[in-house]
Amino acid sequence: MLRPPDGLVADGITAIDMDSFPPPITVSHYLVVGAVLFVLGAVCMATKRNALGVLMGIELVLNGANLNFVAFGSRFLRQDTLGLDGELMALFVIVLAAAEAAVALAIALNFYNNHTTIDVDHADDLKG
Amino acid sequence: MNLHDLVSQLIIDSTGSASLITPDSSLRAFLPELVICATVLAMLFVRLFRVGRYVDMFWIALAGSIAALYFAAPWDHLGAVLTADQAAHPAAVTRMEIFTGMLVYDTFSVYVRSALFLFAILFVIFTRLSGIPDHEDSPDIYTLVLGATLGMCLMVTANHLLMVFMAVEMASVPSYVLAGILKGRRQASEAALKYSVYGAGAAGVMLYGISLVAGILNTAHIPTIALTLAEKFSGGLSAVPSGELMVLALGALLISVGLAFKLSAVPFHFWCPDVFEGATAEVNAFLSVASKAAALALLVRVALGMGVIAPTGFAPGERWAKTHQNAPATTPTSTDKTTDLFYIAQEPVTAAGAAAAADSTAEPAKLPAMQSLAPVRSFTAKLIAFFAIITCTFGNLAAYGQTNIKRLLAYSTIAHAGYMMMPVAAVVAMAGIDNAGAARGIAGLAIYIAVYLFMNLGAFAVVAFLRNAMRSEEIADYAGLVRRCPLTVVCFSLILFGLIGLPPLSGFIGKFAIFASLVDGWRAVEAAGQPGFYLLLLLIVGGINTAISLFYYLRVVKVMTIDDEPADRPPLVYSDVSLAGAYLWLITLPTAGLIVAWDWLSEMADAAARNLIG
Repeated sequence: MLRPPDGLVADGITAIDMDSFPPPITVSHYLVVGAVLFVLGAVCMATKRNALGVLMGIELVLNGANLNFVAFGSRFLRQDTLGLDGELMALFVIVLAAAEAAVALAIALNFYNNHTTIDVDHADDLKG
Repeated sequence: MNLHDLVSQLIIDSTGSASLITPDSSLRAFLPELVICATVLAMLFVRLFRVGRYVDMFWIALAGSIAALYFAAPWDHLGAVLTADQAAHPAAVTRMEIFTGMLVYDTFSVYVRSALFLFAILFVIFTRLSGIPDHEDSPDIYTLVLGATLGMCLMVTANHLLMVFMAVEMASVPSYVLAGILKGRRQASEAALKYSVYGAGAAGVMLYGISLVAGILNTAHIPTIALTLAEKFSGGLSAVPSGELMVLALGALLISVGLAFKLSAVPFHFWCPDVFEGATAEVNAFLSVASKAAALALLVRVALGMGVIAPTGFAPGERWAKTHQNAPATTPTSTDKTTDLFYIAQEPVTAAGAAAAADSTAEPAKLPAMQSLAPVRSFTAKLIAFFAIITCTFGNLAAYGQTNIKRLLAYSTIAHAGYMMMPVAAVVAMAGIDNAGAARGIAGLAIYIAVYLFMNLGAFAVVAFLRNAMRSEEIADYAGLVRRCPLTVVCFSLILFGLIGLPPLSGFIGKFAIFASLVDGWRAVEAAGQPGFYLLLLLIVGGINTAISLFYYLRVVKVMTIDDEPADRPPLVYSDVSLAGAYLWLITLPTAGLIVAWDWLSEMADAAARNLIG
């Protein structure tokens, strides 16, 4: 078992914390981070009142997926991998996310011009 | 392998042979999309020049869509069953994975793409007559429409999870802008904002699902996914680690969120009525027909692709190399390498078939693989059936209380998405049990798409022309219209009766084909000893819903014909005898007259279904 350096223990991080994530970094570690990003993004999308906040949530979700792709594609983490497909998909998604953000921001600006707010709660003319 | 080999193989894959573009190359199969790309570029570039400002973009867009339809050539490829000799001809369309397996080109893609291009032609003419893009806006609108059409073509042909995501985004992003294309309108900007936020969110969720599925199975190429799944499930469900199974199911559910959003399936439908009310009737027609047809085709691709071992097809350039073996232009050695490098899809087949190298020994390995995929198919079929039931029921119930005609048609679109998902559930359930029945189910869906194209385009055309005539989209303002413009009211009534599915009209043909596939599916699945009750349930729900839909469609007809004209209605500036009226009749004609001769449509639909299931 890898023991944490003494300095860290002194700072309050104990050896037990290190045990829950054993030393060789595996795909699972990346997946956990990706899942956290995804959930944060989804919560952000659901709760933010500001349209820009919602868009940030969407970016978080996309980046969570991207992290998965890269982790699944890496040949340093496990034997059978997604291969280069993983990295390539991540690249495409980055580009698409930029395009989508540009369009969504333009639409948000248009909404602001008509409503003088980007609070999504004020988007309530259409219902039924 | 060095770079030179790699590049030369890429060239063979795109052009079919080292020196010329062959009829069975990726580029030739992709030609209609390339034409659309060229049209979009032409519209953007022409505007840069002073002379170009006076050019009417309508003509460029129209020419581009017609050329695309011409190159898609459904009249050539959707004919009778091909013999082995005919299929070996380079120009024949069977299954061919193009661009290193990213897209797939078969008769189903020919059919749906042709429907999309035909719709683009009719749509461009429609916008001209309704006058929504003025001279200033028309390059923007036509660029966005054709750009979205390009994305939809990719949705129809997607064969790789990356392409699924890219195509959905390519179709969606221009649609967001189209929804808000009217400047300075509060409602339009709200519609665009809602559409883009919900759409981007759904796409993000779908991408996360794709990352899980692709990561667990180590591939994103859909036919290879089917093979990998077959290998995983070959020892039965219990042999798969439960964690892996859970992640796969979760990934499938997340992917279904993205697809359901594109289909406007309940519970991911809430954008649809709002967007339809805020956007113009022209954009609604585009979203409700083209977007829905493409989303259904994508659903078929993903659901069937993952649940069915893909039939063997040809590689680009393979048939050309065979028929021109002595031609100096080809380099036979490098074509062999092409199949080695890019068609990894074949590898797991041989692995499952105990190191069988030759095709003849790989074929029998398909059957057990198909059987071990049965749990995947049953899961997918039930998921689709669940979505279909709630979508159909909710759409019809919610349409009942609407006062705005665009909102009513939005809920009608949702309900029709539910109807159109039903045969997909039946097809997925039937595959591997009764392949001929499954192909008939796909053909039924194809017929419904064609019929629905004309009906919904016609309905929104009426709404747009009447909006121009009286600046109102409220159903109450349609009262007594029969005394002002009887021919238009007759058209609209025919279309609404068609949407119900009443017998002499084309909607009946579509509904009949769909319900027949459900009965087929139920019988086949029950005969094979599996639970098929959900297909019977679909049939019952479909029947009840048709009855419910009668009320709200007929209410519109009743308002138009029986009710008295309201005193406070804005003055009506409209004549039946005009280009707009002629266009309406042109669109209504297939709805009213298809029952007389629909053999040709049925034959095309059968041809479309031919190459999907082995």
